[in-house]
Amino acid sequence: MIRINKGIEINKIVDQNDLKIVKIYNKKWVTNKIKHPRAQKPGLAIAGYLKYLSRGRIQIFGKTEIGYLNQLDPEKKEMQLKKFFSIKLPAIVISEKQPVDELIISIAMKYKTPILISNLNSSLLTSRISSLLYRHFSKKIKINGVLMDILGLGILIKGDSGIGKSETALELVNKGYNLVADDLIEFYLNSNDEPVGMSIEKIKGWIEVRGLGIINVIDIFGAGAVLEEKRLDMVVNLERWSNKKKYDRLGEGDLYFQVFGKDIPMFDIPVAPGRDLSTLIEVAVKYFISRKNGNKSFIEHIYGKEEK
Amino acid sequence: MTEEKIEIINKLGLHARAAAKLSHLANTFDSDIFIVYNEDKVNAKSLLGILTLAASIGNYISIIADGKDEIRAIKEIKNLFKKKFDEES
Repeated sequence: MIRINKGIEINKIVDQNDLKIVKIYNKKWVTNKIKHPRAQKPGLAIAGYLKYLSRGRIQIFGKTEIGYLNQLDPEKKEMQLKKFFSIKLPAIVISEKQPVDELIISIAMKYKTPILISNLNSSLLTSRISSLLYRHFSKKIKINGVLMDILGLGILIKGDSGIGKSETALELVNKGYNLVADDLIEFYLNSNDEPVGMSIEKIKGWIEVRGLGIINVIDIFGAGAVLEEKRLDMVVNLERWSNKKKYDRLGEGDLYFQVFGKDIPMFDIPVAPGRDLSTLIEVAVKYFISRKNGNKSFIEHIYGKEEK
Repeated sequence: MTEEKIEIINKLGLHARAAAKLSHLANTFDSDIFIVYNEDKVNAKSLLGILTLAASIGNYISIIADGKDEIRAIKEIKNLFKKKFDEES
């Protein structure tokens, strides 16, 4: 799923508040591009084993790396650092605000490598940088629908145009649930291989309701009503009621929606007058949670749970 | 399925009002209608979707329609672009 097409500038990484970058050396080179979706903690590479060090990959120096460098004699240190930086790395991130000496900065400068100092420890840095890079590098697909957070689960509401997806979303927001994206959702696979949806920046927080126009959910319901992104857990497909179609009457739940080849449980919910969609969806989510916790379906209640 | 390439010739491109007219027109057909621009494919019946494309004058987009009235849909949508969304005289 990883496509290394375009890199991401170090600048973009620095802009992220959650990386807690407090200082940057060799600022001139913050336009360098990362071309690998994972961060690397070099470890032995600093001691000269450079085989698995790759060029476009951002490097994280934790206590081990800095500690090792500090106990080398200056000559050896210079030699090792030169070998290391000559690979042309996009940037080095130093954890826990560890001080870096002039030698490291000047050698990094020579090889056009910026050094970022972060407040975080190296395992937090690795996971946050990785999730950020995954979001950038992984293949994205766009899906029509509304993505919401209901009771902590990511729910995709799908259905034909004009069936009332946005109106239902508005009702759900009014009930206190969060909107992630209306109309067009961009999905990517996160570092855990799960599909995550987010809004396209341009229309984030906006929702189109026929009769009202395009309204801003953040202005009306507050900043807390909109979430940045959400992992997809369940799909609700709204359909016009049809007498010919067989709907799930027993709650056996064997429908799935595929995103990135992964099966996401889906419910088909027919739309007809008198069916309160937002409540139906809310209950569908609660039912889904209850089933996940191992509670019985009606069939299992009558006939007993089948041994698996 | 019918597909047709259309050049955007109105000054402002697919801006809010033009997009509203387009999605309004698309909604009058039973067919599924999509707009493809660069690598993006959006539902022509959804206004916000069209707006994310930000297609402007001189760009080419493709209209894809699939359904009973696809030929009429393409014809009328093409016509809407041709008459510059009735906004320039």
